[in-house]
Parts: sequence; C-alpha cells; structure tokens
Amino acid sequence: MSKNKRRKFNDFILNSITYLSSTVSLITLLGILIFIFGQGYKLLNVDLIVENFESQGYVADLYDNVRLCNCETTIDIEDGTYYSSKWGIALTDTTDLLGKNVVMVEYVHPKSPLLNVRDKGIGNDPIELRDEYHIIRIAFDAYPTALSRYGAENMINYLDANDSIREIEFQTEGGGIRGSIITTLYLIVLTLLFALPIGIAAAIYLNEYAPINKFTKIMRSLIETLTGVPSIIYGLMGLAVFVPLTVKLTNATGGNLLSGAMTLAVILLPVIIRTTEESLKVIPDDYRQASLALGASKTQTTFQIVLPSAVPGIMTATLLAIGRIIGESAALVFAIGTAIKDTVSLTGKSTSLAVHIWAMMTDEPANIELSATIAIIIMLIVVILNILIKIISGRYMKRKMGLNI
Amino acid sequence: MIAEVKKLQFRSTSRGKTTDKIAKIVFMSAALLSASFIFVIAGIVLVRGVIPFTTDNLGIGRVSLFSFLTGDVWLIGETFASNLYSIGFIIISTLFITLLSLAISFPVGVLTALFIAKIAPKPLAKVLRTVIETLASIPSIVFGLFGAGVILKIVYDFSALIGYQSKGGNSILSVVIVLALMTIPTITTISEVAIRSVDQTIEHGSLALGASKTQTNFKVILSSAKSGIFTAAILGIGRSLGEATAVSLVAGGRRAGISFDLLDTTSTLTTIMLEGLKETTGIDYDIRFSVGLVLMVVILLTNLLLNAIKRRVGVVNVKE
Repeated sequence: MSKNKRRKFNDFILNSITYLSSTVSLITLLGILIFIFGQGYKLLNVDLIVENFESQGYVADLYDNVRLCNCETTIDIEDGTYYSSKWGIALTDTTDLLGKNVVMVEYVHPKSPLLNVRDKGIGNDPIELRDEYHIIRIAFDAYPTALSRYGAENMINYLDANDSIREIEFQTEGGGIRGSIITTLYLIVLTLLFALPIGIAAAIYLNEYAPINKFTKIMRSLIETLTGVPSIIYGLMGLAVFVPLTVKLTNATGGNLLSGAMTLAVILLPVIIRTTEESLKVIPDDYRQASLALGASKTQTTFQIVLPSAVPGIMTATLLAIGRIIGESAALVFAIGTAIKDTVSLTGKSTSLAVHIWAMMTDEPANIELSATIAIIIMLIVVILNILIKIISGRYMKRKMGLNI
Repeated sequence: MIAEVKKLQFRSTSRGKTTDKIAKIVFMSAALLSASFIFVIAGIVLVRGVIPFTTDNLGIGRVSLFSFLTGDVWLIGETFASNLYSIGFIIISTLFITLLSLAISFPVGVLTALFIAKIAPKPLAKVLRTVIETLASIPSIVFGLFGAGVILKIVYDFSALIGYQSKGGNSILSVVIVLALMTIPTITTISEVAIRSVDQTIEHGSLALGASKTQTNFKVILSSAKSGIFTAAILGIGRSLGEATAVSLVAGGRRAGISFDLLDTTSTLTTIMLEGLKETTGIDYDIRFSVGLVLMVVILLTNLLLNAIKRRVGVVNVKE
C-alpha cells in the first residue's frame, strides 16, 4: 500500500514537472508579445511607415501680407501645451525618438499664418507646417531668437510679443521606417527571383531525373548540409563573394541590395528544394505514366503535369522563404550593411527591417521603442505567413485525400 | 507510305528528345549549382581565413596560429597595427555558454514534447503546439530585442539584489537564457516527432506489465525515442553555436580574459565577428574570416562527436 502511494506521489511529481516545463514556452511567447506591444504600440501608426528615418530640415519665412490669426483653438489644450491665439499654433515640449528634448507642433489652426510658409531654401516653394514637426528656432526682426532648448512656453511668449517673424526653422519628425520597408520588399522580390527558379529546377532534377546512385545521394546531402551552416557564415560568404561581384559589375561601392538578395537566395535554396521536392514526391506516378503514355515528352510531362500539381508545395516554399527573408539579420549585417537609408536603389546602401532593429539596438543609446514597433510589424507578417501556410497545406491535404478516394 | 509515317514519328521523337536533353541539363545544372554552394562557402571562408596566418598582412607580420587559438586577449595593440589577435578565451566561453543553455533547453524542451505528445489533454496540446510553432518562427532578432529589453533588466536587478554590479545585465547568464529560449522550440518540435513515432506495442507492453502511465512515459517512451531526442539536442547545439545577432545584444562584448562568472560580460565567436567591422581590407577584416573558420570547425567537430555518441546510445534497447 505504501509502495503504491509512493508510486502515485512520484508520478504526480513527474507529471507536474512536465506541466511546469510546458509553461516556460507559454510564458516566453506571452512575454515577447507583451513586451513588443507594450513598448512599440505608441509609435505604431501610418506616419511611421511612410515617414523617412532621417528628419528633413527647413528654413522658411512668412509670405508677404499674411494676416495674423487671432483665432480660438478647436481642440482641448492639455497641461504642458501652450497655445498662441495670435498665431493659431500650439506647441509642446517632448522628446524625440533619440531621447532629445524638442519643441513639437501640437496643432496648427487652419487659418494660422504659419500653416503655409515660404521655403527659403531652393525654389521658394510653399511648405506646410504640420503637426508633429519639431521647431528648432523662430527668429524675429526686433527680438531675441526663440530657441527650442528654452522650451515651448518661451517660444509661445515670444510669438505673442511679436507681430511678424523673420524666419522659422523646423524639421520633420524622422524616425520613420519607409526606407527599410521598401528595402525589405525589394529583398523579398529579388531573392525569390534568384532562388525560386534554381531551387525548383534543382528539386525537379532530384525527384524526376536523377538516377538513384551514389552521386545523387552525395548531391542531396551536400544541399542538406547547407541548412546547418549558421547564417553569419553565409554573411561572410556574401561579403567575400557577392559584394565584390556586384561592386565589379555595377556602380555599387559596398554592400547593396543585390548582394544581400543573392546571399539570401543561397540561404533559402535548401528550404525551397526540400519543400518543393516533398510536394513532387506525393504526386502519384500514374500521372506521369499516363502523360507519357499519351505521347507527351518527358519535358512536357514535367511542365504540364508534374509542376502544376506541385504548386501548393512551391507556394509553401515561397511563404517559408518570405518569412526567413524578413527575419534574417546576421547574414545581412555583412551582405548588405547596416546603413539605414531613406532612398533605396538596387546598388545603393540601405537595410532591411531586421537589421534596422539590430543597428538601432547596437547604437548608443539603444532605441527600444522603435525597435519594438518594427518587431510588431515583423511578427504580424510572420504570423500571417504561418496562417497562410496552414491554410494552403490544409487544402492541399484535403484535395489529395479526395483524389485518393 | 509506311516509311513516311515512320520518318515523321522518328522526327517528332527526336525533337522531343533534344528538348528533353536540354531540360535535363538545365535542371541538373541547377541541382549542381545548389550542391556546389557548400564548397563555395567552405572554400571562401578557408581561403580568406588563412590569410592572416600565411601572409605578413601588409607589413604587420603573420598572426601566430598557436597564440590565436590559445591566447586570452582579443587584440593587443592598435587595430591595423598589431598582429596579436587571439580567440582562445572566446572559444571556451562559446562552448561554455552553449553547454549551459543546452542544460536548460534540453530538459525543458524534451519534457514539453512529452507533455504535448502523451500527457496533455487534447485541446491543451493543440494550444501548446501552436505556441511552439509560433515561437519557432519568431526571428532571432526579436528574441534578441526581448533579451535586451526584458532579460537584461531582470538579470541586472537580480545581480543588484545579491550585491553585484553587472554591466547593465549584459552577462553570460543573459546569453544563456536567450539561447535557451530560442532553442526550446527546436528541441520540442523534433523530440515530439520522435516520441510520437515510438511503437505503440512497446507502450502497451509496459502498461500490461503493470507500470503506470507516467512510469511508461518516462522510462519506456523517452528511452525508446532517445535517438530522435539526441538529434534534437544536436540541432539545438548547432543553433546555439551559430546564433549571432540576438547574442550580440546581450553579451556585452568581452575583449580579454576568460571568465566563468555567470554575471560577467562575455563574447562568443559570432559576436566578435559582428563587432566593429568597418574596413573591407586589411587584417581586421580578414581576421573575421579566421574566426568564421574556427566557428565552422567547432560546429563540425561538435557534430561529428555528437553523432558518434548518438550511434552508440541511439539503438533502442528493449532490455532496459
């Protein structure tokens, strides 16, 4: 009896350990989600996605014969925000994405003379002073200049004391990730252009043409070995092979989009080959034999019978590849570089979202909020891709089962 | 008439055969190209990696292979003016960190797999499997960000609690935790497959002999699945050794001296490669390839060793 009790006790302990172990993964996932959403949700908006990373500075002055506003606000002015009814503008003290104290435009009245100002730089173009822009200084004709470091209240007081301004210097908010998003999209397209044809062709050879012999076996295991190579080693290869290659053939000067895409293509080859081959394997041999018996050549059979049946597998491979491209960081640090750029070109420096995070986190001070926001975007894409893969393979399985009956 | 038909037939098949041949060659060259990349990678890292040891590095002098592999200071002297690089201490800390992270992720991962496959009620198992799948698909940089934002703080507070001033939490412990969390999904997924593929007759036999369900799970099923579970461990180790960006965000970058202190900063083979790469020529550039070469050799040796062990213990032994 006591032996039985001890056994039950032992079983209980062992079972409890497995319950505990399983909670580790659950806690990790929840922790990651809570962390990135908690840190990143504040910055998550359309502006972030369409804005440039580097802020754009402007110096502007008023157009001739503009009228002062003297208009009341249409929004509630909170504590810490200062409003000048004379100029129709509300300013507030805040910190920018890099943690610097700045004066931010909180609100501009539609009738404010500051809404449309004249760019003193090139071309005298009209520019709009928008919400969230940072004002660096406002200079007056007969008054000391209001600098951003003296705060928003001081700036509003100076504005109220003057009837005109000589010039105003401000800059766009910056910190946007438009450039990195475009780079990532380019990378996805280019990498798939390189990797899909080669990968699918290799899979077709291995499954449809290759004789069953030692050479094929070796070839298979060599491709399989690629999956075990750490991505940082791929980065070294990209740095030593593809970067010099693109520098020689194009006008690139260092790591660029093309070299990055080529490196990613090599990383993805084994994934694409394996997934495609899996889907080729399950195509019944009857199909091929029927096609050949009807007089089609081997090539016709491959392209018109085998490949169409493998489409779900190829789509799964593509989605897996996209997930890997979006998440890859170590290889790209070497193969494309860490320069965060707003203008993207095939041979220029720019970087993907994942490397964008890495570059900001290794910078001093680390920008955790913006990194978390990018992480949210990456995670959303990854989850959507996962769901799509499940839907495709689920449908595929159903169809296959239907055929077998 | 008959001759003409024959001729036509011959012609059409011959044309078909030519396209078949061309297609076969195209497909085959794609496969050959894919298979050759492993040689390109190994070759380029080898060729560039031996440059610091075989040339005089633009007048700086050859790097001594022995001191490179055994020394305990990354670089003595100025960058681009000294040949005194060494990574002995980094090799050891890399192995140490990998071992420690496996000590966490292996038991947790295998037990989670056992739980999902055999113990958990069906709905719970389904939820957990989704959790594991999601974790496995999270890019490493997000794990790194989580490490830098959360685990560093926890480790820092913990070390402050026991009266230890850690460098913002950057430490061996943080790296070990981040790596363990990253490898748990890998180990769980593969172990679960191994556990599921254990023959049901073995399980039924154990139950029929009077063992409880739990005893069967732990003593019979786990030991029958040990070959697959070992494969999971090998893959987990591979992932730990090769992980770069996530580790670099929590390691702190140690440049000299070996340290097994869990709360001290550290460097791994991958983080030292990522650190301060600026020029694209010269010794400071080439030495990264040497480190990469060492990393590849370490991974290769570990794999060979583990596979040898696996062959010894891997056979299902029913007598046990």
